[in-house]
Amino acid sequence: MTAEIEIADVASIVQDIFSTMMDLSVCKVEGPITPPGDRLTSSVYLEGSWKGAVSVECSRQQACDFAGRFLASDPPPAVDDDVRDVMGEIVNMIGGNFKASLGSDVRLSVPSVIDGSDYEIRICGSATCNKVAFRYEGGDFLVTVLTNHGVRPARSGAASRCDTN
Amino acid sequence: MDILVVDDSKTMRVILQRSIRQAGYRALTVAEAENGQDALEKLRGQSPKLVLSDWNMPQMSGIDFLRQLRADANHVPFGFVTSEASADMKKLALSTGATFLLTKPFTPDDVQEALAPILGQG
Repeated sequence: MTAEIEIADVASIVQDIFSTMMDLSVCKVEGPITPPGDRLTSSVYLEGSWKGAVSVECSRQQACDFAGRFLASDPPPAVDDDVRDVMGEIVNMIGGNFKASLGSDVRLSVPSVIDGSDYEIRICGSATCNKVAFRYEGGDFLVTVLTNHGVRPARSGAASRCDTN
Repeated sequence: MDILVVDDSKTMRVILQRSIRQAGYRALTVAEAENGQDALEKLRGQSPKLVLSDWNMPQMSGIDFLRQLRADANHVPFGFVTSEASADMKKLALSTGATFLLTKPFTPDDVQEALAPILGQG
Protein backbone atom coordinates (compact mmCIF):
# COMPACT_ATOMS: atom_id res chain seq x y z
CA MET A 1 0.00 0.00 0.00
CA THR A 2 1.33 3.42 -0.91
CA ALA A 3 -1.17 5.69 0.76
CA GLU A 4 0.04 9.24 0.85
CA ILE A 5 -1.04 11.80 3.35
CA GLU A 6 -1.24 15.49 2.83
CA ILE A 7 0.12 17.99 5.30
CA ALA A 8 -3.09 19.97 4.93
CA ASP A 9 -5.01 16.98 6.30
CA VAL A 10 -2.77 16.87 9.35
CA ALA A 11 -3.20 20.62 9.85
CA SER A 12 -6.96 20.36 9.57
CA ILE A 13 -7.10 17.53 12.11
CA VAL A 14 -4.93 19.45 14.59
CA GLN A 15 -6.97 22.62 14.22
CA ASP A 16 -10.23 20.74 14.73
CA ILE A 17 -8.99 18.98 17.87
CA PHE A 18 -7.62 22.15 19.47
CA SER A 19 -10.76 24.08 18.62
CA THR A 20 -13.24 21.43 19.80
CA MET A 21 -11.50 20.17 22.92
CA MET A 22 -9.74 23.36 24.08
CA ASP A 23 -11.67 26.15 22.41
CA LEU A 24 -8.30 27.22 21.08
CA SER A 25 -7.59 28.60 17.64
CA VAL A 26 -4.27 27.41 16.22
CA CYS A 27 -2.93 28.12 12.78
CA LYS A 28 -0.28 26.59 10.61
CA VAL A 29 2.99 28.51 10.41
CA GLU A 30 5.17 28.52 7.34
CA GLY A 31 8.89 28.02 7.74
CA PRO A 32 10.93 26.05 10.25
CA ILE A 33 10.69 26.60 13.97
CA THR A 34 13.08 25.26 16.54
CA PRO A 35 11.54 23.30 19.39
CA PRO A 36 12.52 24.49 22.87
CA GLY A 37 15.33 22.65 24.64
CA ASP A 38 13.17 21.62 27.60
CA ARG A 39 10.03 20.14 26.16
CA LEU A 40 7.43 17.40 26.13
CA THR A 41 6.91 15.12 23.18
CA SER A 42 3.91 12.82 22.97
CA SER A 43 3.84 10.17 20.25
CA VAL A 44 1.71 7.42 18.79
CA TYR A 45 2.98 4.77 16.41
CA LEU A 46 1.16 3.28 13.44
CA GLU A 47 1.82 -0.28 12.29
CA GLY A 48 0.49 -2.27 9.36
CA SER A 49 0.51 -1.49 5.66
CA TRP A 50 1.29 2.10 6.66
CA LYS A 51 4.11 2.48 9.17
CA GLY A 52 5.07 5.65 10.93
CA ALA A 53 4.61 7.86 13.94
CA VAL A 54 2.91 11.10 14.83
CA SER A 55 4.23 13.31 17.60
CA VAL A 56 3.43 16.63 19.25
CA GLU A 57 6.30 18.70 20.66
CA CYS A 58 5.83 21.75 22.85
CA SER A 59 7.41 23.55 25.77
CA ARG A 60 6.58 22.47 29.31
CA GLN A 61 4.69 25.72 29.84
CA GLN A 62 2.59 25.12 26.73
CA ALA A 63 1.88 21.55 27.84
CA CYS A 64 0.61 22.89 31.20
CA ASP A 65 -1.47 25.46 29.32
CA PHE A 66 -2.99 22.76 27.10
CA ALA A 67 -3.79 20.64 30.16
CA GLY A 68 -5.58 23.53 31.85
CA ARG A 69 -7.63 24.24 28.75
CA PHE A 70 -8.38 20.57 28.11
CA LEU A 71 -9.54 19.98 31.68
CA ALA A 72 -11.25 23.40 31.97
CA SER A 73 -9.19 24.23 35.06
CA ASP A 74 -6.24 26.41 36.03
CA PRO A 75 -3.05 25.28 34.29
CA PRO A 76 -0.94 23.07 36.55
CA PRO A 77 2.15 24.98 37.79
CA ALA A 78 4.47 22.22 36.58
CA VAL A 79 4.35 19.11 34.43
CA ASP A 80 2.57 16.33 36.29
CA ASP A 81 0.67 13.15 35.43
CA ASP A 82 -2.38 15.14 34.29
CA VAL A 83 -0.25 17.17 31.86
CA ARG A 84 1.38 14.03 30.45
CA ASP A 85 -2.04 12.40 30.17
CA VAL A 86 -3.45 15.36 28.24
CA MET A 87 -0.46 15.41 25.89
CA GLY A 88 -0.98 11.70 25.30
CA GLU A 89 -4.65 12.21 24.58
CA ILE A 90 -3.96 15.06 22.14
CA VAL A 91 -1.60 12.96 20.05
CA ASN A 92 -3.92 9.96 20.35
CA MET A 93 -6.72 12.02 18.80
CA ILE A 94 -4.44 13.32 16.05
CA GLY A 95 -3.12 9.83 15.28
CA GLY A 96 -6.57 8.26 15.43
CA ASN A 97 -8.13 10.75 13.06
CA PHE A 98 -5.08 10.52 10.81
CA LYS A 99 -5.38 6.71 10.79
CA ALA A 100 -8.92 6.95 9.41
CA SER A 101 -7.44 7.96 6.05
CA LEU A 102 -5.07 4.97 5.97
CA GLY A 103 -5.63 1.26 5.42
CA SER A 104 -8.03 -0.70 7.60
CA ASP A 105 -5.20 -2.95 8.77
CA VAL A 106 -3.24 -0.06 10.29
CA ARG A 107 -3.03 -0.25 14.08
CA LEU A 108 -2.48 2.63 16.48
CA SER A 109 -0.33 2.26 19.59
CA VAL A 110 -1.20 3.68 22.96
CA PRO A 111 0.52 7.07 23.36
CA SER A 112 3.90 7.62 24.98
CA VAL A 113 5.20 10.88 26.42
CA ILE A 114 8.82 12.01 26.73
CA ASP A 115 9.69 14.83 29.12
CA GLY A 116 13.27 16.04 28.83
CA SER A 117 15.73 18.27 27.04
CA ASP A 118 17.97 18.12 23.99
CA TYR A 119 16.66 14.84 22.63
CA GLU A 120 15.63 13.70 19.18
CA ILE A 121 13.09 11.04 18.21
CA ARG A 122 14.00 8.61 15.44
CA ILE A 123 11.89 5.75 14.13
CA CYS A 124 13.87 2.92 12.54
CA GLY A 125 13.18 2.74 8.82
CA SER A 126 11.48 6.14 8.62
CA ALA A 127 12.80 8.04 5.65
CA THR A 128 10.68 11.14 5.84
CA CYS A 129 10.31 13.61 8.68
CA ASN A 130 7.53 16.13 8.12
CA LYS A 131 7.28 18.87 10.70
CA VAL A 132 4.22 21.08 10.74
CA ALA A 133 4.42 24.14 12.95
CA PHE A 134 1.39 25.70 14.61
CA ARG A 135 0.98 29.00 16.40
CA TYR A 136 -1.40 30.14 19.09
CA GLU A 137 -1.36 32.90 21.67
CA GLY A 138 1.01 30.85 23.85
CA GLY A 139 3.64 30.42 21.15
CA ASP A 140 4.56 27.82 18.55
CA PHE A 141 4.49 24.04 18.76
CA LEU A 142 5.26 21.21 16.36
CA VAL A 143 3.40 18.23 14.99
CA THR A 144 5.67 15.72 13.26
CA VAL A 145 4.81 12.83 10.94
CA LEU A 146 7.59 10.27 10.58
CA THR A 147 7.10 7.69 7.83
CA ASN A 148 8.64 5.99 4.85
CA HIS A 149 5.50 6.59 2.81
CA GLY A 150 4.66 9.64 0.78
CA VAL A 151 3.68 12.93 2.34
CA ARG A 152 2.45 15.65 0.03
CA PRO A 153 2.98 19.28 0.91
CA ALA A 154 -0.12 21.35 1.48
CA ARG A 155 -1.75 22.85 -1.55
CA SER A 156 -1.91 26.60 -1.53
CA GLY A 157 -4.79 27.71 0.67
CA ALA A 158 -5.55 24.16 1.76
CA ALA A 159 -5.28 24.97 5.47
CA SER A 160 -5.61 28.14 7.48
CA ARG A 161 -2.29 29.82 8.06
CA CYS A 162 -0.93 32.51 10.31
CA ASP A 163 0.24 35.84 9.08
CA THR A 164 3.82 35.54 10.22
CA ASN A 165 4.92 38.96 9.07
CA MET B 1 -24.07 3.02 38.79
CA ASP B 2 -25.95 4.43 35.79
CA ILE B 3 -23.05 4.86 33.35
CA LEU B 4 -19.64 3.19 33.30
CA VAL B 5 -16.91 5.19 31.54
CA VAL B 6 -13.97 3.03 30.42
CA ASP B 7 -10.78 4.74 29.27
CA ASP B 8 -7.11 4.33 30.15
CA SER B 9 -6.73 8.11 30.03
CA LYS B 10 -7.79 9.86 33.23
CA THR B 11 -8.13 13.01 31.16
CA MET B 12 -10.72 11.45 28.90
CA ARG B 13 -12.63 10.00 31.85
CA VAL B 14 -12.80 13.47 33.39
CA ILE B 15 -13.85 15.06 30.09
CA LEU B 16 -16.48 12.41 29.43
CA GLN B 17 -17.94 12.84 32.91
CA ARG B 18 -18.07 16.60 32.36
CA SER B 19 -19.61 16.19 28.91
CA ILE B 20 -22.28 13.84 30.30
CA ARG B 21 -23.22 16.48 32.89
CA GLN B 22 -23.17 19.23 30.25
CA ALA B 23 -25.42 17.08 28.08
CA GLY B 24 -27.99 17.31 30.86
CA TYR B 25 -27.56 13.96 32.63
CA ARG B 26 -26.56 15.45 35.99
CA ALA B 27 -28.72 13.09 38.03
CA LEU B 28 -27.03 9.96 36.71
CA THR B 29 -24.20 8.32 38.64
CA VAL B 30 -21.06 7.68 36.63
CA ALA B 31 -18.36 5.15 37.54
CA GLU B 32 -14.96 4.74 35.90
CA ALA B 33 -12.70 1.90 34.77
CA GLU B 34 -9.23 2.04 33.26
CA ASN B 35 -9.51 -0.80 30.72
CA GLY B 36 -11.74 -3.66 29.66
CA GLN B 37 -10.57 -6.02 32.36
CA ASP B 38 -11.11 -3.43 35.08
CA ALA B 39 -14.55 -2.69 33.61
CA LEU B 40 -15.61 -6.35 33.64
CA GLU B 41 -14.78 -6.50 37.33
CA LYS B 42 -16.66 -3.28 38.09
CA LEU B 43 -19.72 -4.50 36.21
CA ARG B 44 -20.11 -7.59 38.40
CA GLY B 45 -23.49 -7.36 40.10
CA GLN B 46 -24.20 -4.03 38.38
CA SER B 47 -26.76 -3.17 35.70
CA PRO B 48 -25.86 0.25 34.33
CA LYS B 49 -27.95 1.99 31.72
CA LEU B 50 -24.94 2.47 29.46
CA VAL B 51 -21.24 1.64 29.04
CA LEU B 52 -19.05 4.20 27.26
CA SER B 53 -15.69 2.76 26.27
CA ASP B 54 -12.51 3.77 24.53
CA TRP B 55 -11.29 1.36 21.83
CA ASN B 56 -7.52 1.50 22.09
CA MET B 57 -6.58 0.50 25.65
CA PRO B 58 -3.82 -1.62 27.20
CA GLN B 59 -4.57 -5.00 28.80
CA MET B 60 -8.00 -5.39 27.20
CA SER B 61 -9.14 -3.32 24.23
CA GLY B 62 -12.62 -1.91 23.93
CA ILE B 63 -13.68 -4.39 21.24
CA ASP B 64 -12.41 -7.36 23.27
CA PHE B 65 -14.25 -5.95 26.28
CA LEU B 66 -17.47 -5.75 24.27
CA ARG B 67 -16.98 -9.28 22.89
CA GLN B 68 -16.53 -10.59 26.43
CA LEU B 69 -19.66 -8.80 27.64
CA ARG B 70 -21.76 -10.29 24.88
CA ALA B 71 -20.20 -13.73 25.39
CA ASP B 72 -21.34 -13.44 29.01
CA ALA B 73 -24.86 -12.64 27.76
CA ASN B 74 -24.58 -9.11 29.12
CA HIS B 75 -26.59 -6.91 26.76
CA VAL B 76 -25.96 -3.54 28.41
CA PRO B 77 -26.16 -0.70 25.87
CA PHE B 78 -22.61 0.01 24.73
CA GLY B 79 -21.07 2.99 22.96
CA PHE B 80 -17.50 3.53 21.81
CA VAL B 81 -15.74 6.85 22.30
CA THR B 82 -12.71 6.73 20.07
CA SER B 83 -10.46 8.78 17.85
CA GLU B 84 -10.24 5.91 15.35
CA ALA B 85 -13.72 5.72 13.85
CA SER B 86 -12.98 4.35 10.39
CA ALA B 87 -15.81 2.75 8.42
CA ASP B 88 -14.36 -0.71 9.07
CA MET B 89 -14.17 -0.10 12.81
CA LYS B 90 -17.71 1.20 12.91
CA LYS B 91 -18.92 -1.88 11.03
CA LEU B 92 -17.05 -4.18 13.44
CA ALA B 93 -18.33 -2.31 16.49
CA LEU B 94 -21.96 -2.42 15.39
CA SER B 95 -21.78 -6.07 14.34
CA THR B 96 -20.29 -6.94 17.74
CA GLY B 97 -23.14 -5.26 19.56
CA ALA B 98 -22.24 -1.60 20.08
CA THR B 99 -25.02 0.95 19.66
CA PHE B 100 -22.88 3.86 18.49
CA LEU B 101 -19.39 5.25 17.96
CA LEU B 102 -18.67 8.75 19.20
CA THR B 103 -15.60 10.19 17.53
CA LYS B 104 -13.00 12.26 19.36
CA PRO B 105 -12.90 15.23 19.33
CA PHE B 106 -16.49 15.71 20.43
CA THR B 107 -18.66 18.44 21.87
CA PRO B 108 -21.27 18.11 24.64
CA ASP B 109 -23.89 18.33 21.85
CA ASP B 110 -22.32 15.29 20.18
CA VAL B 111 -22.52 13.43 23.51
CA GLN B 112 -26.15 14.43 23.96
CA GLU B 113 -27.02 13.28 20.46
CA ALA B 114 -25.37 9.89 21.05
CA LEU B 115 -26.85 9.30 24.51
CA ALA B 116 -30.39 10.56 24.01
CA PRO B 117 -31.69 7.49 22.12
CA ILE B 118 -30.60 5.32 25.06
CA LEU B 119 -31.06 7.58 28.09
CA GLY B 120 -33.75 9.92 26.85
CA GLN B 121 -33.36 13.67 26.80
CA GLY B 122 -31.07 15.01 29.53
